[in-house]
Amino acid sequence: MDFTYSPEAEQFRTELRSWLAANLTEDIVAATRHPGADDQAFELLRKWNARLADDGWAAVAWPTAYGGRGASVLEQLVYAEETTRARVPNPLNIIGINNIAPAIMQYGSERQKLDLLPRMLRADDIWCQGMSEPESGSDLASLRTRAIQDGDEYVVNGQKIWTSLGHRADWCQLYVRTDPDAPKHQGISCFLVDMKSPGISVRPLVALNGDMDFAEVFFTDVRIPADAMLGPLNEGWKVATATLSYERAAAARLYSELQVDLEQLVGDLATARVGDRPALQDPITLHRIGELVTRIKFLEVLCLRSISAMLHGGDAFSTASLAKSVWGECGQKLAALAYDVLGPTASARWADYRLTARALTIAGGTTQINKNITAQRVLGLPRR
Amino acid sequence: MNLEPTDEQRALRATVRQFLAEHAGVDAHVRQLIDDESGTTPRVWDGLADLGATGVLVPAEHGGAGMTMVDAAIVAEEMGAGLYPGPWLSSAVAAPRAIARFGADSEAAELLSGIAAGDRVATVGPLYSVPATLSGDGRVSGEFVVDDARAADVILTVTQHEGGLALYAVETALPDVTRGRLPGIDQTHRCFQVTLDRAPGRLLGTAGAQALSALVDDVLIVAAADALGAAQRLVDMTVDYAKTRTQFGQAIGSFQSVAHLCVDMFEKVELARSGVIHAAWAADEGDGDHRHLAALRLKAFSGQLASVGDTAIQVFGGVGYTWEHDAHLYLKRLLSFSTQGGNADRYLELIGSEFAASVTAGRPQTT
Repeated sequence: MDFTYSPEAEQFRTELRSWLAANLTEDIVAATRHPGADDQAFELLRKWNARLADDGWAAVAWPTAYGGRGASVLEQLVYAEETTRARVPNPLNIIGINNIAPAIMQYGSERQKLDLLPRMLRADDIWCQGMSEPESGSDLASLRTRAIQDGDEYVVNGQKIWTSLGHRADWCQLYVRTDPDAPKHQGISCFLVDMKSPGISVRPLVALNGDMDFAEVFFTDVRIPADAMLGPLNEGWKVATATLSYERAAAARLYSELQVDLEQLVGDLATARVGDRPALQDPITLHRIGELVTRIKFLEVLCLRSISAMLHGGDAFSTASLAKSVWGECGQKLAALAYDVLGPTASARWADYRLTARALTIAGGTTQINKNITAQRVLGLPRR
Repeated sequence: MNLEPTDEQRALRATVRQFLAEHAGVDAHVRQLIDDESGTTPRVWDGLADLGATGVLVPAEHGGAGMTMVDAAIVAEEMGAGLYPGPWLSSAVAAPRAIARFGADSEAAELLSGIAAGDRVATVGPLYSVPATLSGDGRVSGEFVVDDARAADVILTVTQHEGGLALYAVETALPDVTRGRLPGIDQTHRCFQVTLDRAPGRLLGTAGAQALSALVDDVLIVAAADALGAAQRLVDMTVDYAKTRTQFGQAIGSFQSVAHLCVDMFEKVELARSGVIHAAWAADEGDGDHRHLAALRLKAFSGQLASVGDTAIQVFGGVGYTWEHDAHLYLKRLLSFSTQGGNADRYLELIGSEFAASVTAGRPQTT
C-alpha cells in the first residue's frame, strides 16, 4: 500500500510550484471569476494562457509535438493538485484542451494538428463545442442539427445550446446529424467549423447569477467545406467519446478544488457568528464542516484508487464513475453551509456559489444519468 | 501510488472467505450460535488459527504472521462479510495492539504465542470508559463493558497507574471476575458487563494516555473494516436480488428508483472503503495524528455506512423485514459499529473542530 508519488512526479511538483510562484499574480487569479462577461478579464486571461503555453505548462498531458510535455498520469495528478491549490484560472480553452484536442489528435490530419493545436493552447483561437441542443440534453444522441451534403460542402441548419464561450469562440467542434435514417448514435458526424462562417449567429445565455459563460449558437444555411469533417462520416459519436488515455487524472481537480474551497470557507467563518457564539464554536456548524472534511477526504482517496488502478491494472471505472456525483453533492453541501452561516449579503463570493453550485450535478452529465451508468455498467443492473 | 492489493493479500482474503463460507456459514454457524455466549466453536477457532488469522498481528518472533494493519483490515472485512460472531477482533486485533501499545511484547510473550496458536483468547477493556483502578496489592477493580468476555480466558485490563495507565492481564475464570452478557440488537456480537472486584492481575506494561488513544484508533479502524465487509456483502446480495426479483414483468433493478438506491449503497461502501484503506495505511505508516484523524473519520462516516443496511431492507421490501432473511443481521452489525465508542455525531463535530483549529492556525491538514 503506497500513497506516495514517484520521484519524477515530486520533481515535477517542485518545478511547477516555482514557475507559478514566479508568474502567477493576484490579478490573474481575480480575473477568473467572470471571464465570459468581462472583456478586460478575458484579455488578461488570454495573455496568461499564452504565457503558460509558451513555457510548456499549458496542457502537460499533450505530446511535446503539440506543445505539451507528455506528462505521466502521476505528473498530471500533481499538475491538477498544484494548479487548483494555487487558484490558477482554468484555461480559456478548457473544453478544447480536454475534449476537442484529443479528438483532433486521434482523427485529424497532421496539418490540422499543427495548425490548430498550438493556437488552441495559447488561446490565440478560442474553441467551443456544439453538442447540446434545446431538445437534446441528457439524450445527446438525439441531436438534430442537420448537415446535408452539397458537392464539396455541407449545409448546416439547426441550433446548439450551452456552448461554453460560444459568443467569444473562433472555432467550433460541431456535432450534426448526417444520416437521419440510421439509428441515432450512427447518424452523427463531427465538423471543425470557423465561427466567422456566414449564417452563424450567437446569443449569450444569462445564468441565474448573471454570468454569461454560455451561448446559444444558431446555424442558418451555413456552408462548411467537406474536408472540415473530423473523423469518418456518420462516426461522430465515436469522435465525441474519444478521450486521451492519459487525460484521466482530471479527477484530481475534483477533490483539490473542494479542499481549497473548504479551507477558504472555514477561514471566512472564523469571524462569523451563529446566534450568540462564534460560528466555529457552534456544534451544528462544526458538525457540517466535519461531514464535508470526511467526505472530501474519502473522495480524494477514491480518486487516488482510480489513478492507482489505471497505473497498476485494476478497475478504474467503478471508482471514477462515482467520483463526479460525490464531488457535485459535496460542492453543493459546501455552498449551502457557506450561505446558511454567512447569509445572502455577507460575501458575494459565497452567495454566488450557492447559486452556481446547482450546475455541479447537471453540467457534463447529470447525477441521475451518472447513477444510471453506474447502475448498468458497474453494478450490472438491467436496463428498462 | 499503488493502492492495489498484493497477490498475498488477495490470497489472504480468498482463504479467509472460503474458510468462513465452508465452516462458519450464516445458517450453519452464525444463526446456530445466537444464544451461545462465546460466539464460536473450538473447531472454527482452531481452523482460523491454522489459517494464521488469529495471529495476523502477532509478531513473527512470537509465533504470529507478523502482518500489517492493512492485512488485518482485509481479514476483518471477511469477518464482517461472513458475520462471524467469534472473538476474532478482540483476540487477534485488540489484544496484540494493546500489548504493543503498552510496550508489553516481552512480558506478554507467552500470551502472544497462545493468541497466535488459538490456544488463548484475549479481550481488552475498558476502551471507551474510565480505566479500572488498582489497590495497593496489585488487585484490579472496575466495572466496564467489554466485547467477547465469555470466550476470553484473559481480559487485558486498562488501569490507572501513577498518573498514567497500565495494562493488567486478569484471568476470567477467577471468582473475582463477573461477566454478564448484555442484551443488544446485534446477534452476531458478544458484549458483556464485566465486574472486577479486587481481582489479581499481572502487570504487562505501562504507558501514557496516548497509548490508549492509539489503541482505540487501531480497534476502530479494524472494526470499520469489519463493518465495510458487512456492507459490501449486503450490497452484493441486494444487487443480485434487484437483478432477479421481478415485478410488473421486469427485474426490479430495471426501475430507476431501485437502481439508484443500489447506486447510493454502492457509493457509501466505496467511500467507506476509501476511508478504511487510508486509515489502515496510516495505522502502519502515518504518524499518530494522521492515524487518529483517519480513525475519527471512519467513526464519523459510520452512520452513513449503517444506512446501507436500511436501504438494503428497502430494496428487499417485505422479505427483508423477516427474521429468516439475512439482511437484518447485516444491518445490526453495521448499527453496532455506528455506536461503538459513541455515535457518529460527536465524531463529526470533533473532526469539524480539529479542521477549524488547523485552518485558523494556518496549518491546513494535508492528510
